[in-house]
Amino acid sequence: MSQWLNGVIERAQGVDDWLSPIRQQALAQLSQQSWPGRRTEAWRYTSLHPIADAQWAQSEPADAAVSTEQRQALSIEGLETIDIWFVDGQLQTDISQITLPSGLTMQSFAQADDQARAAAAQVFTQVKPPKHLFGLVNDVLANNGVIIDVAADAAVNTPVRIINLCSDGVESHNRVLVRLGERAQACVIEHGAGDGASLNTAYAEYQLGRDAKLEHYRFALHAKQAIHVGGCHFNMGESSRLNSTLVGYGSQLSRIDVDIQHTEQHAFAKFNNIYLLAEGEHFDLHSSIEHIVPNGTTEENARGIVGDNAKAVFNGRIHIHRDAQKTLAELNNRNLLLSRRGQINTKPELEIYADDVQCAHGATVAEIDDEALYYMLSRGIERSQALVMLNFGFIQELVDQMPNAALREWLQPKLQQRFAGMEVA
Amino acid sequence: MLTIKDLRASVEGKEILKGLNLDIKPGEVHAIMGPNGAGKSTLGYVLSGRDGYEVSGGQVELNGENVLEMEVEERAQAGLFLAFQYPVEIPGVSNMEFMKESVNAVRKERGEESLSAAEFLKKAKEACKQVNLPLDFLKRGVNEGFSGGEKKRNEIMQMILLEPSICILDESDSGLDVDALQVVANGVNSQRDGKRSFIVVTHYQRLLDYIEPDFVHILADGKIVKSGDASLAKEVEKTGYAWLSKAEEAGA
Ligand SMILES: Nc1ncnc2c1ncn2[C@@H]1O[C@H](COP(=O)(O)OP(=O)(O)OP(=O)(O)O)[C@@H](O)[C@H]1O
Ligand SMILES: [Mg+2]
Repeated sequence: MSQWLNGVIERAQGVDDWLSPIRQQALAQLSQQSWPGRRTEAWRYTSLHPIADAQWAQSEPADAAVSTEQRQALSIEGLETIDIWFVDGQLQTDISQITLPSGLTMQSFAQADDQARAAAAQVFTQVKPPKHLFGLVNDVLANNGVIIDVAADAAVNTPVRIINLCSDGVESHNRVLVRLGERAQACVIEHGAGDGASLNTAYAEYQLGRDAKLEHYRFALHAKQAIHVGGCHFNMGESSRLNSTLVGYGSQLSRIDVDIQHTEQHAFAKFNNIYLLAEGEHFDLHSSIEHIVPNGTTEENARGIVGDNAKAVFNGRIHIHRDAQKTLAELNNRNLLLSRRGQINTKPELEIYADDVQCAHGATVAEIDDEALYYMLSRGIERSQALVMLNFGFIQELVDQMPNAALREWLQPKLQQRFAGMEVA
Repeated sequence: MLTIKDLRASVEGKEILKGLNLDIKPGEVHAIMGPNGAGKSTLGYVLSGRDGYEVSGGQVELNGENVLEMEVEERAQAGLFLAFQYPVEIPGVSNMEFMKESVNAVRKERGEESLSAAEFLKKAKEACKQVNLPLDFLKRGVNEGFSGGEKKRNEIMQMILLEPSICILDESDSGLDVDALQVVANGVNSQRDGKRSFIVVTHYQRLLDYIEPDFVHILADGKIVKSGDASLAKEVEKTGYAWLSKAEEAGA
């Protein structure tokens, strides 16, 4: 058992708000759970040791404000966004003061009116499956959150950016609930950051209505000591479209679970993941694609670079149910190991119960091509630059596929710089 | 300009260069010949600083600087260029991008400004023409799918663009048809300006018909065993290397 989890269950009794009836169910489920160990499949390659018996300060509403420096560090040049700031899980933006584009409603958990509560009820714990332990933790503790509701036929062009900043020594939990009405269009960016020894769980649930279109990004740029466990969960309405890019740095412990559920026909989901792990970092991505109905399409591409003594875990599950004929599902995972001491556990998991489907999957692990590197060095090209030129291309391809140009321009040098700073051993 | 003194080097614990001496002055062309496995390519790799080539003794100075202490890229930036016997293919990196990056890296070290994309393109096109490669070779991946002869010409193109002070050509003539041989030779000759020096590793006299060497050395068993003028190459062509073992016996 874990002292930390005991503490969570204890603290959960004190959370009392309009979501409490649903939280009670989650709490009941959480109390049934045992602490994952090495033999727990979902945590086989990721040790929860850094959390098990650890303690952090609990974030308090007054604790943190956003400094100008923090704002600048996380600003994205050339991109106009509607920014919602969470610092250590506490909402720092007075959403009621923002003039929102027409068709977009946004409210905090604390100030949610009846309409927002009704929207939330359709999303909260309705998209995210209960199997995620830390998801349940988030269910019972996240009393800070935001509800984003996009009306039918509304096309919201300005991206909503949810910034999740974590500081040293603090534990926090926050939640994002998004509902897109029929034919609605929106772009949501989840942008997490922090280096200090913090623990944050951040879960986001997306309910896509019929013909809705969601452009989604999750930048999990928590690094070094910041422990981050979270998830993004999507429910695909009929003929809805999802284009999602997830970018993760590694940290002491970084774990993200993604679920994409095709519960209505003709939906299309494109999901790209990039992970760049510097020395000693750990990143774990579990994605689970469920095709429950026929005629759905999923394309998933996960690509990562793993530094010295770093460890990447990729588990890509595709589950095609018996009725899900004519499903098209592709999953590909490519890795580059910078050192023999780096480690990658990649596992595509296919469960196919329908017979008329097209399904492809693959995983590769490459190492630095010493001869090519030497050739480039022998022409005077600096080592870090040569490494970028030789090995960044496969990451670059996914960056180039991001629909938003300003985000591409912001992200590309950031990733390139991170990679150039990694040691090859 | 380049002085090699008593150079000893080994690969995987096996000594290949066993006390090699060479002194090259500005503007000179030195041909190195010698039997297969003598250590000619090894010399090029050691001079360029390739990993896995362990230097166990001796000195190498380039324009007064200690080459052996430099990293691979620093040697290139200091003006050392090695045209490889077997150039490697790098799919995914365009020839153009690769050469622009290297030219600008070398220019930076020389205190010169980076070339703009347009400026570089102009130079690259000229160099491409000079070695008789179609311009679309600039767009292809580095050496990707190039024929043997095209790879050699691509090496010479890089040499022309990088303007090094010492060029080591490792069998740049092997596998070339007659016309290509002339292209390579002309490429080299166009770069002879009285200051730039060359080490030309070759098995055949025919290249030396076009690139006239000031000196010819025979490298055998990790050492220079004989040096002479251009006529030595002609002698080797006639007599081969059988005399080497006799000389060894005579010496022993
Ligand atoms: N990685 C290696 N491991 C073991 N031996 C090696 C290695 N690299 C080179 N050698 C050996 O070193 C010796 C010299 O090789 P080198 O390539 O320098 O010869 P060379 O004079 O260039 O020959 P050629 O005329 O055939 O090109 C050879 O006996 C070769 O087998
Ligand atoms: Mg050789």
